Amino acid sequence: MKDKRTLIVTIVITAALSCVPFVINTETSYFVYFLFLSFTYITITQGWNLVAGYTGQISLGQHAFFGLGAYTTAMNWIYDITKTGYYFDPVTMLLSGIVPAIVAIAIGIPLLSKLRGDYFALGTLGLGEIIRVYFIKGGTYTGGPIGLLIPSKVYTSMRPYYWTSLFLALFATAVVYFLTRSRIGLALTAIREDETAAAANGINILKYKIFAFSVGAFLSGLGGSLTAYYLFHISPESVLLLKWTLYPILMCVIGGSGTITGPIIGAVFMTAVFSIANIYLPEMHPILSGLLIILVMKFMPKGLVGLKEKIRPR
Amino acid sequence: MLDILSFGLVSQLLINGILFGTMYGIAAIGLSLIYGTMRIIFLAQGTIIIFLAYICYWFFKLLGIDPYLSILLVVPVSLLLGMGFYQGLFREAAALEDKNISLLIAVGLMFLVENLMATIWTPNPRSIMTTYTAYGVSTLGLRISFTRLMGFIMAVLSTIGVNLFLNKTLVGKAVRAASEDMEAAALVGISPHAVNGVAFAIGIGLAGTAGIALATTYSFDPYFGFVFSLKAMIALALGGMGSVTGAFLGGILLGVLESLGSFAISGGWADAISYGVFLIVLMFKPEGLFVRSVKKA
Amino acid sequence: MGKHLLELKGVDVRYGDVQAVWDLSMHVDEGTIVALLGANGAGKTTLLKTISGIIRPNNGEILFSGKSLVKLKPQDVVGIGISHVPEGRRLFTRLSVLENLELGAYPRKVRSSFGESLDRAFKLFPILKERSHQKAGLLSGGEQQMLAIARAIMARPALLMLDEPSLGLSPLFVKAMFELIRTLNDQKVTILLVEQNIHQALKIAHTGFVLKTGKIVMSGRGNELLTNPEIQKAYMGTLG
Repeated sequence: MKDKRTLIVTIVITAALSCVPFVINTETSYFVYFLFLSFTYITITQGWNLVAGYTGQISLGQHAFFGLGAYTTAMNWIYDITKTGYYFDPVTMLLSGIVPAIVAIAIGIPLLSKLRGDYFALGTLGLGEIIRVYFIKGGTYTGGPIGLLIPSKVYTSMRPYYWTSLFLALFATAVVYFLTRSRIGLALTAIREDETAAAANGINILKYKIFAFSVGAFLSGLGGSLTAYYLFHISPESVLLLKWTLYPILMCVIGGSGTITGPIIGAVFMTAVFSIANIYLPEMHPILSGLLIILVMKFMPKGLVGLKEKIRPR
Repeated sequence: MLDILSFGLVSQLLINGILFGTMYGIAAIGLSLIYGTMRIIFLAQGTIIIFLAYICYWFFKLLGIDPYLSILLVVPVSLLLGMGFYQGLFREAAALEDKNISLLIAVGLMFLVENLMATIWTPNPRSIMTTYTAYGVSTLGLRISFTRLMGFIMAVLSTIGVNLFLNKTLVGKAVRAASEDMEAAALVGISPHAVNGVAFAIGIGLAGTAGIALATTYSFDPYFGFVFSLKAMIALALGGMGSVTGAFLGGILLGVLESLGSFAISGGWADAISYGVFLIVLMFKPEGLFVRSVKKA
Repeated sequence: MGKHLLELKGVDVRYGDVQAVWDLSMHVDEGTIVALLGANGAGKTTLLKTISGIIRPNNGEILFSGKSLVKLKPQDVVGIGISHVPEGRRLFTRLSVLENLELGAYPRKVRSSFGESLDRAFKLFPILKERSHQKAGLLSGGEQQMLAIARAIMARPALLMLDEPSLGLSPLFVKAMFELIRTLNDQKVTILLVEQNIHQALKIAHTGFVLKTGKIVMSGRGNELLTNPEIQKAYMGTLG
């Protein structure tokens, strides 16, 4: 009963949002840009949500996957690897998700099998930095510190961006939704709650952790791809920033990690906060986000979604 | 390349590496104390070191206080700051089972302070120039700058000081005990909040010392902190979580590796190698390279 | 015998959805040795942890010389005269024997009499004096148990709570352990002893309580319980 209601609400909202470009002028409206940004963040945030919120592995290296996705898209456009030629190319985007996912699996196997909890977080941090150095030093293929430029002549309208981002946000949310309702989701939650008990119950911990980690990387990569299309100029400075890890964490945590709607609420809320802050207090973004993370973690560790939830006594 | 390597050059690199590495070392000791008692990875350590370096810098720039004299001001301030961080930010989080929360608070703090400094003090690099900045000691064909030597001495003295505190005072022993088993410590009458506060205070106190060393020897900017934290963590991983001396040696080892490494290969790659070493040590010998493990009771 | 040093009234302890202790009332008389018996999972360790403040009871009252313990933190409970030697000893393995003993006398009240307490500890446990500078982790199992008890009495407790002190020890050490407990009792320390070794425990205990799934199912004088055939049933779970 509840599921049916959720489905109807989701369809209605999605339909309404899809119609926005017909109602509002997408080229001049800040609101449309705001939604675009929110949807992009939702995509990335759901990725982190899966890895950290549901599986309990705090990854501080998501920006590496985001950057990999962005670079895959840019390089594909410039070197025309997939030979598909047209702009908002699903194949490219898919590739931009798969490449980080593969890297995640490759790195994940050694990292996740050996590192627990805090150590894993540190490991992902180190990983992010290694990848960043690699791109800076990467030479002609990756454009080095200056980065890559995608010809901007192809930009015709904001509309495809808007719809693509809406689609991705929906896709990411659906992925998390269906995964967590499946047996996989049960296993992930079991791992988060008590790894030893989960292992004792026959759950292959490594397999599931890697799975979550790579899906998270996939989603981050998609977000990176979208951003690359939007920014046209990508460089280590712009796409391999810690901020692309921190903001999703903030959004997920504020909204409520480990829930489906948490990342959505968090992403929309924070994008709104940043947009407003941009108008009145430019450059305060990072200070604000730092402060917010502290406040949320201190007073509302369960996020906005969890405000109603009572905490179980230990 | 080998033909331009000479004994003098290698020694110079070694010396520089050691001197720089001591800063990593004392930052690492601070991290070790905080992690040992509270299992919190204080990612903001590097950024706080930068912050305290700025404090030292402003004392010099605006009030004309000699950096080495400002130790008397900066270190007490750091100790209080550390206590303040614990009471204000980490007190409740330290007691939680979910260590991710305290990790995120540290990340938030890092972001907050880093960008606050960039906004208020601009991102331009700073350094302290005094009358003796250019002084150096020349022996055996090597040149050791005065300020770096002073930084080294400060680091060594701090390490000895912390060691004495941990091994010779009752409170210090309580900190060591609590690091091993907080619950058992409570059962003998040790208050977790008290030792946690002390550990944090000392951790930031050491950051203050590192900050002064940094301010007098190199130029710094607000964003330098994050990488510094990472390096301190690498030093800690190399040296071992449980030992003050180990952390210090780990810092020196890292400093030397970096110094030699960035000469042999260009800077960026040397960093990547440090991170790579870090990952490997984390995965295969998390208790560090210098530590022997003791059997559990 | 004497007045009730420790009194528990209607104590309930819950872990999430599981209740470990149900409406439990008992008392420990001053100067006695009280044995708390029961199978694994009966709630004995939980009870000790509740008394020493590691766990907070959901209901009920715990009085020590008339003062309520329920709101106290473990570090404060030591200060008022109760020392708890937990299951598994929980020594500070990286610290030396001497340092462990020093920390045993951490509460402010007992610091001034540290020298005296140390002498007493070394007299009771001469082996510890020999090994005073060794790391605690390097001692044998029996020596570690000795150290754990020595550390606990450094705080000069009126009530000493021991959780399975004979676990994992050789028969020689077990014998020495129970003699030691008796000696401590002669020195006016009240003892609350949780034990799996029913026989030895009841031989020295003045009073015994048998716990099963968080409730007291049998109680009585030590020597009576020792000869009571029902005790085996209570332990094995067919009684109560």
